[in-house]
Amino acid sequence: MEIARLAIEKATMLGATEAEAYVQSARTIRIAFDEEVRDIRTVESTGLGLRVALGKRTAMYSTSVLDEAEIYGAAEKAVKVAKVAPEDPDWAHMNKGYGKSSAEGYYDRATANLGCDEMLEGLGSAISILNERDRRAKPTRGYLSLMTSKVSLVNSHGEAVGGKETFATAWMMMKAKEAGLESTGSEYQLTRSFREIDLDSMAEKAVDKAVGFLGAKPVQTGEMPVILENRVAAGIMGWILSRPIRADVVQSGGSRLADRLGERITSEDIEIFDDGTMAGGVSTRPFDGEGHPTQRTPIVESGVLRGFLYDSYTALKDGVDSTGNATRVGFSYNRTRAYSSPPTLDPTNLVLVGGSASVDEVIRDTKHGLYVEQTIGEYMSDPISGNINATVTHGHVMEDGELGAPVKGVVLTGSYHEQLRDGFEAIANDTDFYVTLSGMGFYSPTVKLRRLTVAGV
Amino acid sequence: MLFSLDELERLLERGEALGASYAEVLYQRLDSEDIEVENKALRSYKSQSFSGLGVRVTCGGSLGYASTNRMTGEGMGRALESAVRGAGSTPRGEDEPLRKVDIIVADAMPPVKVDPLDVSPDEKVVLALDTNKAAFNDGKIKTARTKVRLMVDERFLVSTDGARVRVVTPLVGLSHASVAEAGGERESVLDSRGMCAGYEFFESQDWSDFATEVSDLAIEAVGSGTSPSGNLPVVVDRDMVGLVLHEALGHAVEGDTIASGESVLTGRLGTRIASDFVTIVDEGVVKGGHYAPYDDEGVEKGRTVLVEDGFLRGCLTDRRSAQRLCLDPTGNGRLQDYENSPLARQTNFYMEPGGHSLEELVEGIDFGLLVRGRGSRGGQVEIGMGTFTFGAGPSRIIRKGRVEELVRGAVITGSVLDVLKNVDAVGVDLKVATDAFRRCGKNGQQVTTGMGGPSIRVQRMTVGGG
Repeated sequence: MEIARLAIEKATMLGATEAEAYVQSARTIRIAFDEEVRDIRTVESTGLGLRVALGKRTAMYSTSVLDEAEIYGAAEKAVKVAKVAPEDPDWAHMNKGYGKSSAEGYYDRATANLGCDEMLEGLGSAISILNERDRRAKPTRGYLSLMTSKVSLVNSHGEAVGGKETFATAWMMMKAKEAGLESTGSEYQLTRSFREIDLDSMAEKAVDKAVGFLGAKPVQTGEMPVILENRVAAGIMGWILSRPIRADVVQSGGSRLADRLGERITSEDIEIFDDGTMAGGVSTRPFDGEGHPTQRTPIVESGVLRGFLYDSYTALKDGVDSTGNATRVGFSYNRTRAYSSPPTLDPTNLVLVGGSASVDEVIRDTKHGLYVEQTIGEYMSDPISGNINATVTHGHVMEDGELGAPVKGVVLTGSYHEQLRDGFEAIANDTDFYVTLSGMGFYSPTVKLRRLTVAGV
Repeated sequence: MLFSLDELERLLERGEALGASYAEVLYQRLDSEDIEVENKALRSYKSQSFSGLGVRVTCGGSLGYASTNRMTGEGMGRALESAVRGAGSTPRGEDEPLRKVDIIVADAMPPVKVDPLDVSPDEKVVLALDTNKAAFNDGKIKTARTKVRLMVDERFLVSTDGARVRVVTPLVGLSHASVAEAGGERESVLDSRGMCAGYEFFESQDWSDFATEVSDLAIEAVGSGTSPSGNLPVVVDRDMVGLVLHEALGHAVEGDTIASGESVLTGRLGTRIASDFVTIVDEGVVKGGHYAPYDDEGVEKGRTVLVEDGFLRGCLTDRRSAQRLCLDPTGNGRLQDYENSPLARQTNFYMEPGGHSLEELVEGIDFGLLVRGRGSRGGQVEIGMGTFTFGAGPSRIIRKGRVEELVRGAVITGSVLDVLKNVDAVGVDLKVATDAFRRCGKNGQQVTTGMGGPSIRVQRMTVGGG
């Protein structure tokens, strides 16, 4: 807190009418492995993000050097830029409503205290499984990483808040080869506590998946029902919906949902909400990037559009309350170097729910079509046109209610807006997440879309 | 620089005293500014100064890494100890994990006339605002966003072997996106231009024209149909070909993924992977490209031939993958920043030109697609399955040898092992470029690369449309 207060003091002295300091210190331990442990890295980082306003002119400066001279330098540079920035007529003031929500499961003391010996111990049996479970497959890349981050946030309106969070992530990639055929299988997990990661079970799944995709090939081009497995469905839904529900996009005329509040936009089984308080979520924290408490915000209730996401800037503009969606983007999913980012408006954990069927039931009810387990390029799904774009690397042909031959190398396209309106034929109950590089968490169960274009051979 | 060379050398000596057989430190300081304008108003002006030290040691046949930005003797010492402890906790007792390299002492920086960080903030704001305003050339333009980015990245590698390599890389660029609306449909086009140069780069271009062209393309695209789906002959233009090569071949020839067996090109050195017309290289310093005369391990990056007349001739190695593969390092050990470890990465990856004009490439195609890069949405590859994908910008239908109407939303996929075998003609119009906004991701690390080539014709690719 002292660094933050020093920065604010200096900025105010130099003429800033408002100042806000975000100080982050983080420690990461990361173990890289394939057939064996390859290397271990520890990263310690600290930084200050200073935002200033001179009346209605604003600027931001961040630095990773936290001595007194550099902090003063940061204040000087931020004020210098703010002085020449054009006035923003919509600027009211920085957030005056700091506080913490009842968010849970974002910090685990045991995880914060772990060292690399315990991590190596946890990895040992998983690496054995990767090497020994199937002679056709071997591990080619993997990592296990723990990160602890501590944040202090202070502004010149007398507000202050702080807290700690932890992340544990694991990823492993297997390669299988047999009779001239090649394939991969990978598993990814992100939790807020190390003990929730089951490395052995991830290893088993990765091996079985790699071997199961030997012989995968494209299918014929055509239109067909497509089942998107939970993480695939979450990714596509998130990339397309995370933008038009942001108040800044609505206010600037960029959202096609802008004038549809209160209208039915999807099937009445569907609920969509943003929840920064969700226990153990990938983007769960008690306060947002400008100190506002996080919350659960309904977006769609029984198919009807109910609301948008706000930070304090857009909330003051519309005369409503912030929904706690100011985000410090940072440099990776766990937001290392979040201090270097000005607050932007983004979802926290964006969740779609709506079904009660098991995935097996959804599969059993599908006579023919494509089942999609993994894609690349799903981030090219376009929130502006609403086009779904994703290329399948791991899928299955659906035959009479069962998963058939493995599929790769086909492109999925279609209009998400049309799918959302009346294209969701079935929604399962197996919610899982997709996390973007900038740390947004998208959650969805497996969904069956009535019809998509599948481009293949 | 916050450290003297003397201090870094003493740190390395301490590493050796702690039992390291080799130690290196990479000091980095990155200064950058990001200016964002939306709908004719300044949205944010962010400046950044980021610096610190990464330490790498080998000890008992193992590697250990640590980094810190606590710029004190104590902070540096703690990082060093962590690195040695990390290496020591997994002793392997084998040979050195890093390939021996020539010891280089160098200090490199491309020509810069005007230090981009010295230019006054208001001049940069005016550049972004004027560009943004020019984009509103038609009532159909709903929103427009302009970003200006300026960076100076200084890296200094010092090793116990005697390497002293300092590289300063300036990178500046402007990106602009316009969203057009017509008939209830919306379409966005995003394009960017950048260069490893000083502020003079901004003064050398007409940015109003640039923004107007982006808007015109968005307006034309929103009124157009979606791309056909299926297996089609395509001509890939020179603005698109770099990304296609980067995804379809570049990642699969990165040495670490060949050493581990993950890449589908493992074991294919010397075999035919492309048609006769295809020669592809990776080169550290190319006009218009990224600036990478030395990599982040202090290895000189010259010119590496990957594919020669269709045959796979090499791969891109960092010191570690070179050791595993018993090859020479090619100067491709690159890292995002000092908090990360070097991986085998591309520098300027491009195809050598052939002899055809764009008209000749299009001639003879009865029905196909001219795949254009302007407004492309990016790409990705799964090197173990051998599947890659990329999103084209608004593209044009080829009908009976003629370039006809615009179509939008084309996403293309192909197989790493097949696509270059289907290249049956190569253009003369070589172009290599870099980008201050789009970066290439691998194992969670983002780096800037250069890419390019001439326009090429591919007999068949799988195109997904709307």
